[in-house]
Amino acid sequence: MARLPALFKRPLAIAVAAIVVLLAAGELLSPGFASPRQIVTLLTIAALLGVVAAGQNLVILGGREGIDLSVGGVLSFGAFLAGNLMHQQDAYLAQALVLVLGATFLIGLITGLGVTLLRIPPLVMTLGMLGVVQGGLVLLTRGVPSGRAAPMLSRIVSEPVLFGLPGILFIWVMVGVVVTLVLRRTTFGLNVYAIGSNETAAALAGVPVRRTRALLFALSGLFSGITGILLLGYTEYVFVGAGDQYMLPSIIAVVIGGTSLAGGSGGYVGTMAGAIVLVLLQSILTTLSIPPFGRQVVFGTTLLVLMLLYGRQRRLRG
Amino acid sequence: MPVLEASGVRKQFGGVVALAGAEFALDAGEVHALIGSNGCGKSTLCKIIAGSAAADAGRLLLDGRPVSFPGPRQAAEAGIGVYYQELSLIPQMTVAENIYLGREPRTRAGMVDRDALRAMSLRALEQFGAVLGSGVQPESRVADLSADQAQLVEILKVLAANPRIIIFDEATAALDRHQVDAVFQRIRALKTQGRSMIFITHRMDEVLEIADRVTVMRNGATVLTRPTTETTRDILVTAMVGETAAAERRNRHHAPSETVALEADSLTSSKLNSVSFQLHCGEILGLGGLHGQGQSELLRALFGALPLRDGSIRVDGKPLDPKGPRAVMRHSIAYVAGDRARYGVMAIRPIFENLVIALLARRRRWTVARERLQSEISPFIERLKLKFSSLQASVSELSGGNQQKVVLGRWLATRPSVLLLDDPTKGIDIQTKEDLYATMDELCSQGVAILLHSSDDEELLAVADRVLVFNGGQIVAELRGEERTRFALYQAAYAAGRPVA
Amino acid sequence: MKNSPRFWTQPRPYWMAAAVFVVLCIVNAALQPTFLRFGVATSNIAAFLPMSLVAVGQTYVVLASDIDLSAGAIVSLVNVAVVSIIDGMGGSGASVALGLAVGLAAGLICGVVNGLCVAFLRFQPIVTTFATGIVFAGFALWILPQAGRQVPPAFYNAYAGTGLGVPTVIWILVAAIAFATVVARSRFYRALRATGGNMQAAYQTGVPVARVRLGAYTISGLFSALAGLALVGETASGDPLIGGALTLASVTAVVLGGTALSGCVGGVAGSILGAFILGLINNVIFFAQLPFEWQGLIQGLIILAALAGGVVMARGR
Repeated sequence: MARLPALFKRPLAIAVAAIVVLLAAGELLSPGFASPRQIVTLLTIAALLGVVAAGQNLVILGGREGIDLSVGGVLSFGAFLAGNLMHQQDAYLAQALVLVLGATFLIGLITGLGVTLLRIPPLVMTLGMLGVVQGGLVLLTRGVPSGRAAPMLSRIVSEPVLFGLPGILFIWVMVGVVVTLVLRRTTFGLNVYAIGSNETAAALAGVPVRRTRALLFALSGLFSGITGILLLGYTEYVFVGAGDQYMLPSIIAVVIGGTSLAGGSGGYVGTMAGAIVLVLLQSILTTLSIPPFGRQVVFGTTLLVLMLLYGRQRRLRG
Repeated sequence: MPVLEASGVRKQFGGVVALAGAEFALDAGEVHALIGSNGCGKSTLCKIIAGSAAADAGRLLLDGRPVSFPGPRQAAEAGIGVYYQELSLIPQMTVAENIYLGREPRTRAGMVDRDALRAMSLRALEQFGAVLGSGVQPESRVADLSADQAQLVEILKVLAANPRIIIFDEATAALDRHQVDAVFQRIRALKTQGRSMIFITHRMDEVLEIADRVTVMRNGATVLTRPTTETTRDILVTAMVGETAAAERRNRHHAPSETVALEADSLTSSKLNSVSFQLHCGEILGLGGLHGQGQSELLRALFGALPLRDGSIRVDGKPLDPKGPRAVMRHSIAYVAGDRARYGVMAIRPIFENLVIALLARRRRWTVARERLQSEISPFIERLKLKFSSLQASVSELSGGNQQKVVLGRWLATRPSVLLLDDPTKGIDIQTKEDLYATMDELCSQGVAILLHSSDDEELLAVADRVLVFNGGQIVAELRGEERTRFALYQAAYAAGRPVA
Repeated sequence: MKNSPRFWTQPRPYWMAAAVFVVLCIVNAALQPTFLRFGVATSNIAAFLPMSLVAVGQTYVVLASDIDLSAGAIVSLVNVAVVSIIDGMGGSGASVALGLAVGLAAGLICGVVNGLCVAFLRFQPIVTTFATGIVFAGFALWILPQAGRQVPPAFYNAYAGTGLGVPTVIWILVAAIAFATVVARSRFYRALRATGGNMQAAYQTGVPVARVRLGAYTISGLFSALAGLALVGETASGDPLIGGALTLASVTAVVLGGTALSGCVGGVAGSILGAFILGLINNVIFFAQLPFEWQGLIQGLIILAALAGGVVMARGR
């Protein structure tokens, strides 16, 4: 296989380059695309994707074909639960947050226990949980979406806090800082990389493998829940199936960011860049008035190109 | 004319030179041993012959004609069969399916003929007959076989293809004496049929017994080729190492004390049969005997990596329940596993993480203070003479010996009082072995107790203060002082008759 | 010394699925008295057929330790392509023949694309087939942006009808089972299982691993195409989104049937049973007349439990 220039081996560099290129292209194709206001909107959407992708990132880092197909469902669930607990009252905001975060963490934990204790492959377990969560959501909503965000939540999320930037962006940055710190500077973080790179060696070195992996899925649920709350703050109303469109892009963002699907290498900063790239791409395609089928083809092809760059597996022959 | 010839073969993996102009010639109907210390290139040379790797330069001649194999399939078609050290069996498939994989007999309709397959498999299994042990049928799942049975099945698989040239890479590693005899019988039969064999082994006596000629490699090049009748063990070892290495007792700076660091009483598991012993502080207690008699299982069981059915363990006088590695680590016990690639090293992570991972597990601290940890592990890095470019470099860049040092350093950093070592020097170059022996000596002089299993009898007898000889999951003898000779070791190893499979 | 142990002495991964299937049939019969009537049974089979076909194709890929997440998209693509050709050419016999040929060819091509990416370019299967699925679904939308078009009555009557007294759908099912039985006796099948069991070992043994994986994806593409055709017969029109849920459902069916996602263990028999189980669960929930809002959750819980069971069963002793 052709040897790629060293630059290609740094996914973060490529993602940043892609962001610049996409912004420039967008501005060329549709002046005003790269205006500050537009950029802020794009970043807001990227933030929503980015927070969900944090959970996906963690699950993938843990190795053993880790993946979370249930993020969309848990997100919708979180948004709905939050809206119905808040009833558009600031007074209920705090308790709603606690309950929703607790509930989504718990859902993720159940998934994690299925993966670690029953040793059900993540693809299967999260698929099953998705069905259960979606079914549970139908039960709660009776098909009719309801619930509204507390005004304070909407303010925090959407209204400018500093430099004219909405609160959600700062929340995203905070998430980024926390996740990166946890991965690099805590024992838990090193354990995650350990179990992702060589689970048996990690176990023999005293790493609590099952506990760590279960926690990863629980955190994925938590981040989906956080995103649900943020989405609620952003849209104020709860929409049916609001979260469904986040699952695939969350995986793509993680891949763009350079996290290996085999686990054990990669980080969240790359995923943040990946989320921005994705949102930019989506936006350009919309701006170009490309019909849905075209967008799909572009996305799929982009993913395949990414696979060509980072997703190739080892040769069987040395 | 040699039936197979390699000349000027070069191969590099990244920055590491595996072969630097290797020369090798195999005559028809001969058994040619290929030996050398780890990193000498013998495995790489065989991979190139077998088509599993491509040479960067040089020639490969088959019957005098140049050949190059794009893959193992082409090499197999040319009549080259390979016994792979890691085994090439599919665990969930049956013995019959494995032996004839890709070669299944077919009916006229083109479908696999299951009755013929079964008959052929039975005939193949008969070649080894009783040494295979009971219960090995064509329908047996390979995953259910023991290590020695699996090795014999692998040999049958290689032979089923009727290759004219066969490469045996450590084909006798897990076999007991009788099984080795059966294999050698087969090899002699193959010789009379005019087949040629390359035999790789770490056991010198096997070389001298079965091989017609022997080639020694060192640092990727061929150093010596002689008929085995015209050479001695010492000459071969000298050629391997490059300087005279005397197999003498090592100088020790430590002396075992009276204090018992670890005491085991009637340990029983699926592979262990009421094992009892005492390990003293400052002592190196060797676990010897034929391979696979329970030595590795004992170490794993002590570390909580294997369940025990019965028995008790006391560490420093206090009872220990080996529920799992984390529980055992709390008693200041450390374990270095046998297969470092699979159980030791986290290949894609930096050296730093590989070094501190056990320490963090032991510490139960939440945060990773990099600078402080770095200064904490640096004395161990020095002690082990570990060489690397940077702590952030990936551990896969290191040689096998240095990787083993990283794994050992990981555990030394936890300051264990008991160190369980499972064949730590397997596949390691001689210099690193010397470094490891020196480290062990130093640890013992500080009062650490070491339980050492080694598949290298000479090493075991030279390094250990006492040797417990295992046979069939039991300790059948204890050798101390002047009793530590290979003669006494083998005498004890065979004392109870044929080892239980 | 035992005689050669044959079929019955080795536990098969699909036995649990068979047991669950029988139980579900009993429950279904209890809830729906007409369940065992020939006509009802046939219409059930017709309903379960598309998913069964996709599950069959998926089985081969999973046995090789890969996965095909584009299966549903291929179903959609073939579905709209066939309908567009038949309707576009006026519904004549020739157009039907051409439509079928093109449909099957499309399925094969999609399968080959998947196989080339995964086996020869060595892309990671999950994300790659996700990606190709997105592309295939995109093409489906391009060919037929909205559900519509129709096929001539002769077509869907043939599908709903009988041949030699046996309903067409049963013929198709039997053909699929026959195909699977023949393939199971081939060297290819053993090579496939070996690839899934230990790819490195299979390669070193000389098994043409890449070609085998490509073959599995091609079969999967073919069976997805057949499912697309079956859906044309069933609905008599085209729908670019029709395959949407089939991908993950096919994976569920395969796992329910006792095939291990890690490869080598399992087989087509289990997957067909798994597909039928999924269909019967739907039926049971419907006929039990549970309150509407509970149905989704109950179904989800049952499927989750069944998946766990399937995984445990595939793990073996």
